[in-house]
Amino acid sequence: MTTKRKALPKGIAAGEFDKAIKELKTILGGENVVVDESRLAPYNKIMMPVPNEQHAPSAAITPDSVEQIQSVLKVLNKYKIPVYPISTGKNLGYGSAAPVQRGQIVMDLRRMNKIISVDPDLCTALVEPGVTYQQLYDYLQEKKLPLWFSCPAPSAIAGPLGNMVDRGVGYTPYGEHFLFSCGMEVVMANSEVLRTGMGSMPNSNTWQVFKWGYGPTLDGIFTQSNYGIVTKMGMWLMPAPPDFRPFSIQYPEETDITKIVEALRPLRIAMVIPNAVVIAHALWEAPCTPVKRADYYTGPGAIPDEAVARIRKDHNIGAWNVYAALYGTKETNDANWKIIEAVAAGTGGKIVTRENSTSKALDYRFDLMKGKPNLGEFGLYNWRGGGGSIWFAPVSQAKGSETLKQMKMAKDILAKYGFDYVGEFIVGWRDMHHVIDLLYDRSDEEQTRKANACYDELLHTFAKEGYGMYRANTAFAEKVAATYGPVKRSVEKKLKKALDPNNILAPGRCGISL
Amino acid sequence: MKCSSAFRYFATASALIVVGNANADSSGKWQNSQEIYNKVCAYCHEANVGPVITGRNLMPDYIKSVVRNGNRAMPAFRESEINEAALAGVVKLVSTSTAVAKK
Repeated sequence: MTTKRKALPKGIAAGEFDKAIKELKTILGGENVVVDESRLAPYNKIMMPVPNEQHAPSAAITPDSVEQIQSVLKVLNKYKIPVYPISTGKNLGYGSAAPVQRGQIVMDLRRMNKIISVDPDLCTALVEPGVTYQQLYDYLQEKKLPLWFSCPAPSAIAGPLGNMVDRGVGYTPYGEHFLFSCGMEVVMANSEVLRTGMGSMPNSNTWQVFKWGYGPTLDGIFTQSNYGIVTKMGMWLMPAPPDFRPFSIQYPEETDITKIVEALRPLRIAMVIPNAVVIAHALWEAPCTPVKRADYYTGPGAIPDEAVARIRKDHNIGAWNVYAALYGTKETNDANWKIIEAVAAGTGGKIVTRENSTSKALDYRFDLMKGKPNLGEFGLYNWRGGGGSIWFAPVSQAKGSETLKQMKMAKDILAKYGFDYVGEFIVGWRDMHHVIDLLYDRSDEEQTRKANACYDELLHTFAKEGYGMYRANTAFAEKVAATYGPVKRSVEKKLKKALDPNNILAPGRCGISL
Repeated sequence: MKCSSAFRYFATASALIVVGNANADSSGKWQNSQEIYNKVCAYCHEANVGPVITGRNLMPDYIKSVVRNGNRAMPAFRESEINEAALAGVVKLVSTSTAVAKK
């Protein structure tokens, strides 16, 4: 709290801002234009290790239609005021609902929450930004449609469109969410409405079934970017399999990650295991079991390995805990189960199923692998307490030696700053998202400062080794973008200039600005 | 875990379902305070993630403030998600609730 002055958009005088707000109220109605600081508070709750002021919005607006968004953009272009669109506005640990730069107006699309259509034959859905995973789950349940979606771990209050545009991942066979999206509607900065893929064609009925259309496929430029406001998204749903068989395999040593990855990669690539396998470290598993850190360690710095060993022993947790599932018919799963048993036996792993576990971690993981939303993973936040969290998320090859190297690098750097290695690997198809929750007490100034420095060192040390982030928080957007080199950034800037010459759409998001 | 009728279902299912003004939960409108509690609050506060909040005579203003501002790890909830009237209902529900049996 360094200043009490109300945030304003960069370079915009208070008088101009007030005039713009007045015009926005005419379009949206006064109740949908929020400037009162107390009502803006939910838009400024962040978990990142930077001051709230750095991400304070000047206002929040809640349009409920594409037409309103189009009108709003005309005003914002006129005044050159930047807007930061959010869908369900969660993205906790990546920036939450707060704008990437202080003073931007948050465009909150949560009220646009229609499930526009679900096609049970083609297994597709078309949704608006404000639809939550819970809402979609309820819809499928009410209609008794045996269709599953993939959702991220903290999913009940988050939504599919926002997660997809940030290229989030989940845990079913459809876990790479952008890959399983199909067709977007995007309001461009000049208020044109683009439908990607087949959606551009009048009277097309193939928008949700064929991604590419004719000519360049544009969908990718609207993810992790600021080139347009995505107002509809098609997504593919998975038929619920007749037989779903989730399991966990526990391994006793940290170095086992090498043989785990080598054993699982062929099964994943060949789709014997079709879902996004998770390999969770003991310190990810423990908070969600739940285990209290203070019951095992209250000293300074990172938790020692011997304390982790005691936790593992007391609570029956592996050094690594693999989560995966078989999806098929009883016959195919019976056949594939034999492969799983052989792999576990051959690598020294212990298979755990619901029948032989009482762990809460197992419950939420098994639910996630069939796309049932929950918030079980928020147990992580109790580990250090204090509401500090940023995700450090480098991409790795799905090779054992690479994962061990990344784990050791991360663990050493985290320990240097007094933080625990709370990590997991999410197996894509040939890649792994190495996701580490940098947990710290945000009410403690020193820990907050160290968390910031720690992320910075992690980022640059990994970048030197050629490891880049799959996704990053808004406070570090510029630094993360810089690790990808100048040419990509130059092209991104040219696109920005062409599509949003007044730089009004979330400037700074993913490091893109004029 | 089994859903043996799934494949049979797909042999007979047909027709695009377009949502009208359904009264069901999937309409995107909260039906009542209990639904909000069940589908937002309870995921943490009755799951060993957040503290139990029922049966504690928590003050209405305190509940409201925590919902809107968040509190440490607890996320903040915006009016676009839970509007003022809906929040008033949740606040009443929680502040006047009796304790639930610990699971």
